[in-house]
Amino acid sequence: MGRYPLILASAAALALAGCVQTRQYADVEFAPPQGDYDLVVMRPNVQVGIVTTGGLVEPRADWTEQARANLLQALRQQQAGRGGRTMILESREGVQGVAPENVANLERLFTAVGNSIILHRYMGRQLPTKRRQGIDWTLGEDAVAFGRATGMEYALFLYAEDSFASTGRTAIQALGIAGCIIGFCAPQGGGGQGAYAALVDLRTGEVVWFNLLQTSSLLPGVRFGDIRTPEGAAQMVERLLGRMRAGRHVRERQEP
Amino acid sequence: MHALTRRAMLAGLGCTCCAGLVATPALARIRPSDMRPLVGPGYRPTEEDERGMWQQYERFEAEVAGSNLLIQDPNLVSYLRSLVGRVGGPAAGDLRVYLAQVPEFNAFMAPTGFMVVFSGLLTRMRDEAQLSGVLGHEAGHFLRRHHVRRWRDLRRRTDFFTILAMGAGMGGAATGTYLGDWVRLAGMGTMLTLAAYSRELEAEADAMGVRLIAESGYDPEAMPGIWQQLIGELDASAAMRRRHRRRQSLLATHPAPESRMQDLALSAREVKQPGRSYDRGRDRWLAAIAPHRKRLLDDQVKLNDPGASLYIIHKLAEDGWNGLLRYYEGEAWRLRGRPGDREKAQQSYALAVAYPDAPPEGWRAHGYALIQAGQREPGRAALQRYLALAPDAPDAAMVRYSLQQ
Amino acid sequence: MAVAKLLAAFALLGIVSGCAGGGVGGGYALVRPGPEDVGRGGGMVVTPTIAWNRARRTPFDVSREENWTLNGPLLDNLSFIAGLESGKAIVRQRRRAERQVPRFRADMSPPELASMIETFYRIRAGSVNFEMTGLQPRTFLGQPGFQFDYTHLGGDEVERQGRAVGAVVGGRLYLALFDAVRMHYYPAAIGEFERIVDSARLG
Repeated sequence: MGRYPLILASAAALALAGCVQTRQYADVEFAPPQGDYDLVVMRPNVQVGIVTTGGLVEPRADWTEQARANLLQALRQQQAGRGGRTMILESREGVQGVAPENVANLERLFTAVGNSIILHRYMGRQLPTKRRQGIDWTLGEDAVAFGRATGMEYALFLYAEDSFASTGRTAIQALGIAGCIIGFCAPQGGGGQGAYAALVDLRTGEVVWFNLLQTSSLLPGVRFGDIRTPEGAAQMVERLLGRMRAGRHVRERQEP
Repeated sequence: MHALTRRAMLAGLGCTCCAGLVATPALARIRPSDMRPLVGPGYRPTEEDERGMWQQYERFEAEVAGSNLLIQDPNLVSYLRSLVGRVGGPAAGDLRVYLAQVPEFNAFMAPTGFMVVFSGLLTRMRDEAQLSGVLGHEAGHFLRRHHVRRWRDLRRRTDFFTILAMGAGMGGAATGTYLGDWVRLAGMGTMLTLAAYSRELEAEADAMGVRLIAESGYDPEAMPGIWQQLIGELDASAAMRRRHRRRQSLLATHPAPESRMQDLALSAREVKQPGRSYDRGRDRWLAAIAPHRKRLLDDQVKLNDPGASLYIIHKLAEDGWNGLLRYYEGEAWRLRGRPGDREKAQQSYALAVAYPDAPPEGWRAHGYALIQAGQREPGRAALQRYLALAPDAPDAAMVRYSLQQ
Repeated sequence: MAVAKLLAAFALLGIVSGCAGGGVGGGYALVRPGPEDVGRGGGMVVTPTIAWNRARRTPFDVSREENWTLNGPLLDNLSFIAGLESGKAIVRQRRRAERQVPRFRADMSPPELASMIETFYRIRAGSVNFEMTGLQPRTFLGQPGFQFDYTHLGGDEVERQGRAVGAVVGGRLYLALFDAVRMHYYPAAIGEFERIVDSARLG
């Protein structure tokens, strides 16, 4: 590698080719929902933007609305395929029998728990007491009370972001790769997806399953399913939630 | 001890009024007469980038509105709203205000027209004209569409720099020369121009703000006073920790307080119309803030930044000392805890309890201070007074135990 | 505010660079039930009845402290200060920082000790709405000490609850402090904290 201006500090850390990665964790006793169940999606957050020539992400209102509608539609269909009924919670005020303040507290608790899962499961700060425990975190009694008040069996926390390289950015990416031929290798990031989904069993309050999805590429023109289209959204939902695996103990019991 | 450093990230968002406290070369002053609002009543974005920005901030506002960091007191909040309604110019009817319990001297304006005022701002304001000045400054960010203008500037410059860097790299590789340092220099130039643009927008908001408050009848000369106080506070804070105030850097996003104060003083004189009377609204302000002073001072003093806290207390005491101010003066000395500070704290507590409005905690602090100084009987009497005033205090059991010793 | 969502998004972004794997290094060691010397040679021994995770020492720790957790520091924290000398602070801080946690002094009154702990949360955790819910005498390490109960709201808008039990023995501060998310995590572990406090001995 020659000397070259490091424009994106993280560029070097990224694989050159496009990479799609998901990593899921489940409670050791988790069995994916099947049959007759009710699932509430907690104020799903979707953001879509365009990557400017200089590498900034500019949010796009129309794309975000499209992608959100597509993702939720894909999610409904997928859950229906397993026998589940999906309710989308659009606002904290939208739950009968539960004060908005309690919904907010549950969301805040989830944020602390979700960040703990990311910190201690994905980022390597392992907690020895939780070794080989899959995910072993809970939202406790308040989640159970929420489930009782709403009649829901599962709650899903969902976040998805997607960005698309602008024409200018794609050109810069192409240049960065082409430069390798003449000894100036400066691969540049383009668009990319990031998403997480967390499933909470409202009968026990426990976070029973967690998945994180990341896609990115330094190659120009590489895309991972455009969530602005119904097909692309279905692909993301499939990647994120479609291959839900049972927990370790359940799998061990199933193996002959 | 472990606690995650969960800093309020709000400070990093939106257009904030006072965040950059650190010195820079002065820009040419922007004249208030040049500051015409760029948006009218009921403004909605039409361009793509601004629409995307609005959508994000609309979601953000929903979060802000449901935050448990908000101070919900209806009187105080409606008071703030009425002030914004007075100094908001053509957008007065569109602006929303939220009051967050964050003990920092700051406020921010979102591009969609909602404003978050930090409680630390209220701690420091001396009259309605000063507060309206800050609110007018924030409204100025909205009226001059600063958010989208700053974003476009940032986008243009990062685009340009990326193309330049790529060109330099490719050109250098092809000709066998190394241009890395030049590219880095260009990157630095980009940062400097970005910061300068941000300072220019702050100067615009100052000019807009001073004009807005003068038009609504507030004394515009209140605004330079805010910066005078801030400079005094920063100097006092640094001196107490035995160091110098940080110098302003070229990368600062806000103009130096000194240059803002000077520009505002000039602008204030410029916008005043001869023969018109201008109001400070001190009595209205003191009446509105009185029920909240204790919480505001508590949040400030317990940060144990004794220079800043004592400066603020002494500024507020220019309107007259009382038991509350003397008690917190004592607390600031006690928390600093250097040799001799206990005696200073003890004096303040003794003065505090002489006022009829001394808080019960003043008697507790007075009592323990006396006992520490070896005056057991007067100390015990003060603690008994505390228990009489606050028999159900959460620490009553501990104080009773101390009395038995 | 949107802080909650932001944290999650930041955490998500933080691992984007880890597409090729990797991550932050480890940081915890297992504490098994049974007697355990805490506070790096401070001579305080406690006996937990369940397994805990002990945070490895960092350059930010003071010499007499030790930190344990069950579910991670975002959710629960158990801190020990074992034998802090008069004139030292319970945290490491720059001498010239504007905001500082007051230094411990052997002749501090119980409300002053409580106020010292409160300042720690306000400065280091961005806590607001810090409220003392109780301060009462309590025997600790066989000596007259105190129990301080409190609630606060972190900068991440999560309500937290804590209890500190301490005593000044021979001019030194001994402290056991449990702070956790109010929903589920505090009530779930306060019983274990009480057992640990009652088991504490000077070794």
